[in-house]
Amino acid sequence: MDPKLELLQELTRRSFLRNAGKFCLGSIALASMAESATAAARTLNPLAPRNPHYPPKVKRVIYLHMSGGPPNLDLFDYKPDLVEWNDKPCPDEFLKGKRFAFTTGVPKLMGTPRQFSRHGQSGIWMSDAIPHLAEVADELCVIRSMNTDQFNHTPAELLLFTGSARQGRPSMGSWVTYGLGTENQNLPGFVVMISSGTQPSAGPSAWGSGFLPSVFQGVQCRSKGNPVLDASDPAGMDRAMRRQTLDVLRDLNEAQAADLGHPETTTRIAQYELAYRMQVSVPDVMDISREPKEILEEYGATPTEASFANNCVLARRLLEKGVRFVQLFDWGWDFHGTNEREDIRGGLTSKCARMDRPVAALIRDLRQRGLLDETLVVWGGEFGRTPFREGRTAGSNMLGRDHYPDCFTVFLAGGGIQPGISYGETGELGFAITKDPVHVHDLQATILHLLGFNHEKLTFRLQGRDFRLTDVHGQIVRGILA
Amino acid sequence: MNCAIGYPRWTPRAFAVTVRQAVRFLGVAALLTTGNSSEAGEPGSAPPPDIDFNRVIRPILSENCYKCHSPDDGARKSSLRFDLRTEALKPAKSGRIAIAPGAPEKSELVSRITTSDPEKRMPPKSTGKKLAAAQIAALRLWIGKGAVYAPHWAYVRPVRPALPKLRDENWPHNEIDRFILSRLERERLQPSAPADRYTLIRRVSLDLTGLPPTPAEVDAFVKDPNPAAYERLVDHLLQQETFGEHWARMWLDLARYADSAGYADDPPRNIWAFRDYVIRSLNANKPFNRFTIEQLAGDLFPDPTDEDRVATAFHRNTMTNNEGGTDDEEFRNAAVVDRVNTTMAVWMGTSMACAQCHHHKYDPFSQQEYFRLFAILNNTQDADRSDEMPIKKLYTPAQKEQLARAQAESWQLEQNFGLLTPESLAQLRDWEAEFPLALLWQYALERVSRPLTSAEETAQYANPPPAILELIQQPSPVLTDDQQAILSTWYRSHVAPELRPQQDRYAQLQSEIDAIKPNTVPVMRDLEGEKRRKTHVQLRGNFLALGEEVTEAVPAIFHPLPGGTPPNRLALAYWLVDENNPLTGRVTANRFWEQIFGIGIVRTSEDFGSQGDLPTHPELLDWLASEFVSSGWNVKALLKLMVTSATYCQSSRVTPELLERDPDNLLLARGPRFRMTAEEVRDQALFVSGLLSGKMFGPPVRPPQPSSGLTAAFGGSLDWKTSEGEDRYRRAVYVEWRRTNPYPSLSTFDAPNREVCALRRPRSNTPLQALVTLNDPVYIEAAQALGRRMEQASGSSADKAIFGFRLCLAHAPRERELTRLLEFYKAARSEYEGQPEKAEHLATDPLGPAPEGADLPALAAWTTVGNVLLNLDETLMRP
Repeated sequence: MDPKLELLQELTRRSFLRNAGKFCLGSIALASMAESATAAARTLNPLAPRNPHYPPKVKRVIYLHMSGGPPNLDLFDYKPDLVEWNDKPCPDEFLKGKRFAFTTGVPKLMGTPRQFSRHGQSGIWMSDAIPHLAEVADELCVIRSMNTDQFNHTPAELLLFTGSARQGRPSMGSWVTYGLGTENQNLPGFVVMISSGTQPSAGPSAWGSGFLPSVFQGVQCRSKGNPVLDASDPAGMDRAMRRQTLDVLRDLNEAQAADLGHPETTTRIAQYELAYRMQVSVPDVMDISREPKEILEEYGATPTEASFANNCVLARRLLEKGVRFVQLFDWGWDFHGTNEREDIRGGLTSKCARMDRPVAALIRDLRQRGLLDETLVVWGGEFGRTPFREGRTAGSNMLGRDHYPDCFTVFLAGGGIQPGISYGETGELGFAITKDPVHVHDLQATILHLLGFNHEKLTFRLQGRDFRLTDVHGQIVRGILA
Repeated sequence: MNCAIGYPRWTPRAFAVTVRQAVRFLGVAALLTTGNSSEAGEPGSAPPPDIDFNRVIRPILSENCYKCHSPDDGARKSSLRFDLRTEALKPAKSGRIAIAPGAPEKSELVSRITTSDPEKRMPPKSTGKKLAAAQIAALRLWIGKGAVYAPHWAYVRPVRPALPKLRDENWPHNEIDRFILSRLERERLQPSAPADRYTLIRRVSLDLTGLPPTPAEVDAFVKDPNPAAYERLVDHLLQQETFGEHWARMWLDLARYADSAGYADDPPRNIWAFRDYVIRSLNANKPFNRFTIEQLAGDLFPDPTDEDRVATAFHRNTMTNNEGGTDDEEFRNAAVVDRVNTTMAVWMGTSMACAQCHHHKYDPFSQQEYFRLFAILNNTQDADRSDEMPIKKLYTPAQKEQLARAQAESWQLEQNFGLLTPESLAQLRDWEAEFPLALLWQYALERVSRPLTSAEETAQYANPPPAILELIQQPSPVLTDDQQAILSTWYRSHVAPELRPQQDRYAQLQSEIDAIKPNTVPVMRDLEGEKRRKTHVQLRGNFLALGEEVTEAVPAIFHPLPGGTPPNRLALAYWLVDENNPLTGRVTANRFWEQIFGIGIVRTSEDFGSQGDLPTHPELLDWLASEFVSSGWNVKALLKLMVTSATYCQSSRVTPELLERDPDNLLLARGPRFRMTAEEVRDQALFVSGLLSGKMFGPPVRPPQPSSGLTAAFGGSLDWKTSEGEDRYRRAVYVEWRRTNPYPSLSTFDAPNREVCALRRPRSNTPLQALVTLNDPVYIEAAQALGRRMEQASGSSADKAIFGFRLCLAHAPRERELTRLLEFYKAARSEYEGQPEKAEHLATDPLGPAPEGADLPALAAWTTVGNVLLNLDETLMRP
């Protein structure tokens, strides 16, 4: 194991005894004990920056999650044959042995009602729902052969973000923060923002630290109101008075440290000072009104809203300040067709209108600032949607699709990957992957790889087992690497 | 508390006798050499004359070899396995022998770990593992000495060790100290001086009740000349009801207790009766074995009480998934998996979870064994349903009485309505004769679109239900006696004019009965007969991929289930607390130790398996386990033993040398000092400011929390309506625990979300915590209330500051500290004198208007002092 990571493990205060106990031959045990004293000192700042296993391709990640499962067949994965077969009963071979969330019996196939065309020099297929993304097609690496094991939202999101469909494991962002620490000590290393008013189905587990120490969990920031909980001084206490209280605290705590000799007291003094700085730095970075008007217009952002567009602007601002992992969750991508908002015609058009433009703007903005080469942008959902009409809504005049775990689309942009390619293929009707399947564990392994980690070695020991994000799976998707 | 558990297999007393007899029979020395001398750490001591398999060799093999040469057939890359001596000694196909006892030079193992050929070198480079020179030397030495294996220490039943001999006989207060001091003497370390009484009372009050002492309690204790003053204090604290409120926290983490069902929409779950059960059981000092059995199988007792049934909510704290389109069977299975894993982790510190998908790679548990255990827990009625069935209705004694009264009176009225007298029959005939045909037609035409009769008309004829109309339609001679009786009863209870008062009373009683809403709690209830499920091995842990059918059993490495009874949950529960169980006593004693001393004797309190840490003081652990069990699993006695030890009473002051030597205080040459739990941090702030409500039990409360403006996926708002009155200020154990949105200030201080069993809480130290205690409205309110307490205290500013300081820290500030605080107070006060508006905000928002005629700048300044006091490192640390 990388010695840095080994030390990192020690800072969890778990491994010292294990190592000491295991050699236990006098001198080695002593050496181990001394080493542990240094490890204890390192607990002073578990978020100190660290290097990954090998030189990384990217330094940071923006993960854009469309919660609910965007309809891949109406956005990226063009299936003209399915259009031809529209309204025909779904062949039995595609249904046999499968379970669907809301469909029983024999559903009707549904070709996309959307217009598809090829875009950019690379000629990537995209539908008319995402015209702005089409303009940056040559920056994208579209993986059409994503697959997962889960066909319900919560377990699928858990699998995607924690590597396991059950609650209790650390999230991807927590693993990354555990491995890299924080570049900007005045800001959290892992920031989460939510738009469209609803938490993702996996809830805070999607950014939770699971069994990792809680310092590694995502900090939820808000683009409206107080950006971080309790970051404002109480009414009636101005900055000068807050400074005075911290000065007294520091003096009394220093006396305490001198008296009892506990390093934790020194840590606390440092953490209070950091909190004081965060009170300024977080609202500062979270204030998008500081952006030029043209930039806000390009993203379609309006200060003081809690919109996805605003969150995209914020994501870029956070990255610039050294935040390693920014995760945006946007609710409302569950296109069952149970109402107009979930219809893949008008509903999808208006949903995409609030996503398409800011994401395209984000990619362009990062490119212009020279940040894209060191950043990985990931866009996707937790699963795909069926090539047939959803059972419950088939009799209505809405067009919707059921959850589908076997095929879905994710796109990447940024450093370390080939831009302007489509990777992987699904069959003529979009039921099965026919080339280069990419499981969510493979995506996780690849993201970690780009950040400089061997996904099999970024581990944490719990109940005697070394756990990792990719569980016991995961292959790096070599075919998309630059 | 009744300790008889209604099961005739054994009693704690009998076990105590067994151990004593065993000691007498075998002799102490014999017991001490039964492969149980594994000890970790051992800095500075000479190499042992013999290499101890458990302490030295197994960890090397486990860490570096087992993954391929292991119990897991699936993963074993070679037919060679090192976990069994017989296997390791067998010649391989090549004829070479991996381990040749007494002959390291002939052992293939030795040549493969020492060869310079990278192709042959073990462990392979691809594993990323590498043996240290000392590890190689140890393996060589061990094989040279005969390659003796020993069973994993934790799977061998503990025996009560003899007490170590000491050079310093004066230091120990009790047996714990003998083990601790014996180790310190070997390490040539001195224990620390005793902590002063101020520190001691704050430490022990926080540890036993989760709350600091009041200045009056401090004074009483400090001045108490009785030599038994400390013991009396401990006894007093153990009797407080706040004891159960504090210690419930640990158990509720293990039980993954929450007030919501989990997953996406995370709807509220009404299960707080279980939380109250835990608090009551702890306060009653219920023996831990009884506590165990009730929770796992109280419903299977011959004549279960309400309490026994409520206890079984332990395993109803698993999550249910109400997301649309989910397969209930899948998530029912997930709940059973959780129950297996939680049971084995909580009571036996065993990572059984690994064996769900494959044979355990490190410990001797096969996948079959996993599902045989699963089979024991696979036959309850709950099935991931949103109504949480089966549930138990719980009436309060008052409700029970009210219900009984109403039901008895209703019954009497029913008797009267049922009377069949000639007069009433005649009356009925007349009424029937007058019954409007229109009503009958309406009925006969069945759901005509337009009523033929007016509402008044229908009401006048009492609006008979269809079944009665049916009877009215028919000529009376056709009716059977039973039908006649039904009709008559209905007539008398609804129509008969002379019975109007009784009818009204009856209706009143019915609405009274309806209004008696019992509390409910999800419970365990077994399936019966044909409904019982068969259990199969689930291949790779997939509930749809079924392998062979299995029957109920426990892993073969352990003692068997009790004989003569069905292999059900009750048997499993008894098995967990059986005298032959090698783990439950140790694991539980270790858990309590961890709470009191900050780190377990086995630091990995969640894993006593071969991948877990070895105990720092193995004899002490075994002694505590044996003492705990032989005391009748007496939790308060165990805690008393710990907190009255000299080890516990040491000062926590540490020198740089000692810090370097033992940074984590594993050897306990000083008193333990660590950050309080999330609950303690909050409760203490409310307590010292005088805001904390002492109200116990009942539905969860919703103190103020920052608004999120979000909803849960497919669910309701994450924000809540803040509780009113004293419910704003209840102890944290009563705060509503919503899994997808845990109370923010608690989770910032490392409270888990309790989606699954939380075996051990980390203790972090982060800037976000500082923001909570500096700025969160709850802590500002506490600072304001503490400020008012100081302001209102008599005497000079110095006296007021000393009072506030003592409320938080028990002892008075030192001269320098007091000077600094007063200087700050004066500066703040003059600042606020010039800014009355700011002063008013800081002194009253959110606590509320200041008392009539209050000096607002002074109150604001005292609030800032309160804010400082609540944020001191010393305040946040259990001293």
